[in-house]
Amino acid sequence: MVKAVHYLNQFFAGLGAEEAAETEPTRLDGAVGPGRGLQAQLDGVEIAATVACGDDYFAEHEDEALDRLLALIEAEQPAVLVAGPAFGSGRYGYACARVVAAAAERGIPAVTAMHPENPGAGAAGRALVVPTQVNVAGMREALPVLGRLASALAAGRELGSPDEEGYLPRGFRRNRFAEQPGAVRAIDLLLAKLGGEVRSEVAAGFDRVPPPAPVQDLGTALLALVTEAGCVPQGNPDRLPTIRARGWLRYPLEGVESLSPEAYESVHGGFDVTLANEDPNRLVPLDTVRALEREGRIARLHDAFYTTTGNGTPVESATRFGREIAAELRDAGVQAVLLSGT
Amino acid sequence: MRRDRGRDLRVPRLPAGRVTAFELASFPADLLAVDRGRIERLVTDEPALAGVEVEVVAPGAPVRVTHILDAVEPRIRPDGRPAFPTEGRAGTGRTNRLDGVAVLSCADFPGEERPLHEQESIVDLEGPGAALTPFGSLTNVVLDFEPAEGVGHFALDEAVRRVTLAVAELVAEPTLAAEPEEIERFELGPGDEELPAVAALIQLSDLGQLYYQYLYGTPVGQAGLPRALDPAELLDGAVTCGEYHWAALRNPTLFFQRNELVRALYSEHGNRLRFAGVVLTRGYEQTAEDKQRAAERAADAALALGADGVVITTDAGGNSHTDTMLTCRACERAGIKTAVIVAEMADPEATSPGLTDWVAEADCIVSAGNAEELVDEWMPARVLGGETLLDGTPAAAAGRVPVRNYLGATNQMGQGALQATAW
Repeated sequence: MVKAVHYLNQFFAGLGAEEAAETEPTRLDGAVGPGRGLQAQLDGVEIAATVACGDDYFAEHEDEALDRLLALIEAEQPAVLVAGPAFGSGRYGYACARVVAAAAERGIPAVTAMHPENPGAGAAGRALVVPTQVNVAGMREALPVLGRLASALAAGRELGSPDEEGYLPRGFRRNRFAEQPGAVRAIDLLLAKLGGEVRSEVAAGFDRVPPPAPVQDLGTALLALVTEAGCVPQGNPDRLPTIRARGWLRYPLEGVESLSPEAYESVHGGFDVTLANEDPNRLVPLDTVRALEREGRIARLHDAFYTTTGNGTPVESATRFGREIAAELRDAGVQAVLLSGT
Repeated sequence: MRRDRGRDLRVPRLPAGRVTAFELASFPADLLAVDRGRIERLVTDEPALAGVEVEVVAPGAPVRVTHILDAVEPRIRPDGRPAFPTEGRAGTGRTNRLDGVAVLSCADFPGEERPLHEQESIVDLEGPGAALTPFGSLTNVVLDFEPAEGVGHFALDEAVRRVTLAVAELVAEPTLAAEPEEIERFELGPGDEELPAVAALIQLSDLGQLYYQYLYGTPVGQAGLPRALDPAELLDGAVTCGEYHWAALRNPTLFFQRNELVRALYSEHGNRLRFAGVVLTRGYEQTAEDKQRAAERAADAALALGADGVVITTDAGGNSHTDTMLTCRACERAGIKTAVIVAEMADPEATSPGLTDWVAEADCIVSAGNAEELVDEWMPARVLGGETLLDGTPAAAAGRVPVRNYLGATNQMGQGALQATAW
């Protein structure tokens, strides 16, 4: 028998309704409320503790609530965390999602349940979300699925597809062989679309990054150079990959006035680097920026440039590079960045 | 189908020559005859090549082939005209094909400075990767070329392509004295006007040497793209491959010769649709203006064929996905419905989208699979093509290999059945 922890809000934990919505994170022994029904559906798993938090408290103190809840959960060393079901309740659903997402990030398998249109359904990260009806009338239907998935997670069983197992897709893209080649599927989808029925195998949608406001006064700004053009010292001493970089690099610029072709090159594998390698300032315009620095048009150039190859990089990795580089630049007091892309 | 749009370019729907039938005669793989002496003599004539190792490997052999550039189906024409013409016109009369056979060219380019680098390209004949690539179930004639001392990548690439196409003709010679098993006939009669007219927009890479496709031996950038092509020409060796970008997203010559999209459109002609033709479009336009202009010209070419709908394909990826998406938008704005085939490149451990580019008009997308998924480790007993992968790992013990390194695995002309689904 392995241990589970169950997360509930104040209402389902029996602590009170709206008047108890400010309840701080708390621990209760064993299964409580819907946890009793859930326990009956678990196989080889025992609910050792219930942790609860008021919906308002969570919404108003999310970071603190998460830290305290995670501490309570981790103290139990559970094999699985279950949260909810939250049905259509937005605040409760969001709290369930954030708690299971945080647990999953820390390596605790986690599953919750809620209505697919609950705002929390998109906030559970790598944790599983079981779809339910919009209100508590769906409890009887939800608990067996929740119990089966929680038992599977606790046992470390490899899960099948969302359809097979009854959870909502999380956004991972896994391969399988379709019955027909892509060409035939494309013709089928096109004919359906010409007949008025639009279907797609990829539910696309893109983040659009709004341009930031202009820098108020460049004359007082510390400026940094950042590039995804794969610009590195000759010989690529740190072996930056030509495609699909897993990280970024920082190279000093102190005392460097211009990027000479003898000292720098581009290892980017996604464009013709001939012209870039004739004059690496075309990738990272150090020569021009040094001139602007001398003229006082910028206050100073940051003493290092940041580089990666932006080629075949997953959006999630690129986002991480951006966050990490931005954090360093912010700590260094940089106010403006010249970002050269290819 | 009634066509209801602002512009109506009433041009003939059947370009001159379209009514000519083209026949592909299939012969069994056991006719394959590999005369190493003749292949070596072809190599002797090429100053860029120092030699070639020739091996024939069959499905199920514990073999991994690496450093593959192109894959070509053996073809020969009984009338003596070249199977991969650089002048005249392909797609008329009869061509013989060896069914179930591919010629794989392998080469390790010299370490000289060059702007574009070939990417790793693998076929496994056994193990978990074998099913990912169609070549895992074919008999492969593997040509492992040895470059001449000091040869540059241009000269090496040209010699390898020339010899590979010549070998594909040579090994098909026994079909000239045999009876075909099957004859596929490609002919487009006038279709039922009530059926929707559908064209294929086939993108060809034109990024630079090692990332070029060729039309009648000419780099496609110099071939006046976008332009309409008789679909039979495509199936008959008019388009050949010199594009060595990501292996899974590559369009090797065999995929034009056996193009599933064009063959499916032929077979549906008169049934569920009218096949309006093929437009070759250019991938890797280099400026935003050129990309936009090319997309609009591709849409114009589709309109000129009278297309109500088009299937838009992609060659390689990244930059060229923007050409695909802009072409989709231009077609939709011209009143032509689109379906787009793209490979996804989603980190297997991440929940972020795997498309390089996307436009809101792309509402009908076929997934050719996630090229970033990792394939379980498999240890081949033998490696052909090169013992060390381009990333420095030993090919015989490479650990988990990403799908993108398997030749043709996520082909964006829809050649295979791989598909990424939401987890």
